[in-house]
Amino acid sequence: MHNPSEMPARLASFLALNEPDVDHIEVTSYEPMTGGYSRILAKAETVWTRAGTRTTRTFVVRGDPPADKALIITDRGQEFAVLRAVEGAVSVSRAHYLDATGEHLGTPALVLDHVDAASLLPHMAGRDDAANADLARPLAEAAAAFHTIPLDALPPELARPANWDAYIADRIDEWRRTAHAHVESMPILRYVAAWLDAHRPPPVELALVHGDFQSANLMRADDGRLVVLDWELAQIGDPREDIGYFKAVATAAPPDVTALDEAAFYGRYRELTGMTEEQINPAIAAYFLILGVIGTVRRLVEGGAAYAKGENTSIGSAFSLSSVMFGQSMWMAGCAQLEMVFDAAKSAAGGAS
Amino acid sequence: MLTQPTTELLLRGIARDLSEQIAPDLQSESAKVALGMIVQLLNGCATRTAHEIAWMHEEADAIMAAVSPIDDPATVTAVQAFRAAPDDLHHDGAARRYHLASEALAAAVEHAYATSDDALIATLRDLLQSRSAHEMEVVGTLELVGRG
Repeated sequence: MHNPSEMPARLASFLALNEPDVDHIEVTSYEPMTGGYSRILAKAETVWTRAGTRTTRTFVVRGDPPADKALIITDRGQEFAVLRAVEGAVSVSRAHYLDATGEHLGTPALVLDHVDAASLLPHMAGRDDAANADLARPLAEAAAAFHTIPLDALPPELARPANWDAYIADRIDEWRRTAHAHVESMPILRYVAAWLDAHRPPPVELALVHGDFQSANLMRADDGRLVVLDWELAQIGDPREDIGYFKAVATAAPPDVTALDEAAFYGRYRELTGMTEEQINPAIAAYFLILGVIGTVRRLVEGGAAYAKGENTSIGSAFSLSSVMFGQSMWMAGCAQLEMVFDAAKSAAGGAS
Repeated sequence: MLTQPTTELLLRGIARDLSEQIAPDLQSESAKVALGMIVQLLNGCATRTAHEIAWMHEEADAIMAAVSPIDDPATVTAVQAFRAAPDDLHHDGAARRYHLASEALAAAVEHAYATSDDALIATLRDLLQSRSAHEMEVVGTLELVGRG
């Protein structure tokens, strides 16, 4: 994939290897795509000939960048397994083939269906907040669809935390570990860890967490369903992290669909997941807005550290530290605002008892 | 040495020329995304070159004033490490000293939460907000180029 001129032939051979019943497969076009920072993407048009019948199919090839350009390190094999596990419950770009080692496509890569749907960000950009509020319900449905998949239906590659308490303690500690591992002191991360520990929410059942659930990873199908892309950061954890993460990214790149119609979003999400209002509400989502970003933040900070040490030459790694700094200002403000909300709720509960 | 035009002005000029004269001629989407990041980084570098060393010294002095009286072993150790570091106007030395001050601040924050010392938490939070305000001056208007 690192040399696009080779790819039509490489991809045709790889597809033929996986589809021995097809007489001939030709890749008629191969165009690199933008749309994500972490993987390299390309759109491939193909013509299949089987028993004299020609059909056309369009794929997306999603592979690892060169090692010294890698913003984050994730596993294509795990992403493939997750995609196959969720495809019945969630609208996704179907994963057909995996080159786990890169021996065929030049880098570890997935071959996915090209989804004929509109990217959500430009779709929303052409409408006002009142119009975009109708996305609150499908957004809740998209999140609930994978948050309610039974854990035993998920691939064994995903680590199973012992329980919610152990998980959340480890997640909070990830803030401290990220700070300690960086090339310089990050006191705001350690402040956030201390604050999160002091304000833990009510527990919920552990579930599949997408890990990068944001508008840029959603497409809108003609029937209104949302297609969820980019599963490389999926793991088992607290599902509310995805809602918090969605809000975190939407704060930097509005609109925040969850906030455009909170009754529709939280009502539908509770209905489908069985969570109570105490377990998920706008304040709890805001707690997870902070907690839920740590997985991505850790990878961005690691990329920035690698750049600082001369181990990585991706300008994206240096640029990503801007997102971390932007995030730090949001987390500081968020902790302060939430503290007032939690204190008021505590006072109200005290007064009622 | 000639100091004019300033490094800040030069970096902002380069960023502007890249945006106005180079970017419109680019065809490749990935090159446009890379250039968008470079322009934002150059503007951040311009702000840093104008203020960074002064900010590091000012923040470090404010941190030390707040955390030096704290009776907590981790904080005391961090304060001692800071005091042992030479004052330095060159970037590497200033950054080292700032790092040590930031470690003392982090240790103090953890002590404040461990002891539920609300007054100390409020004081330390002000210092962190000051740090964050400087960072946001560096970031400017963050545009997530290439997404969506």
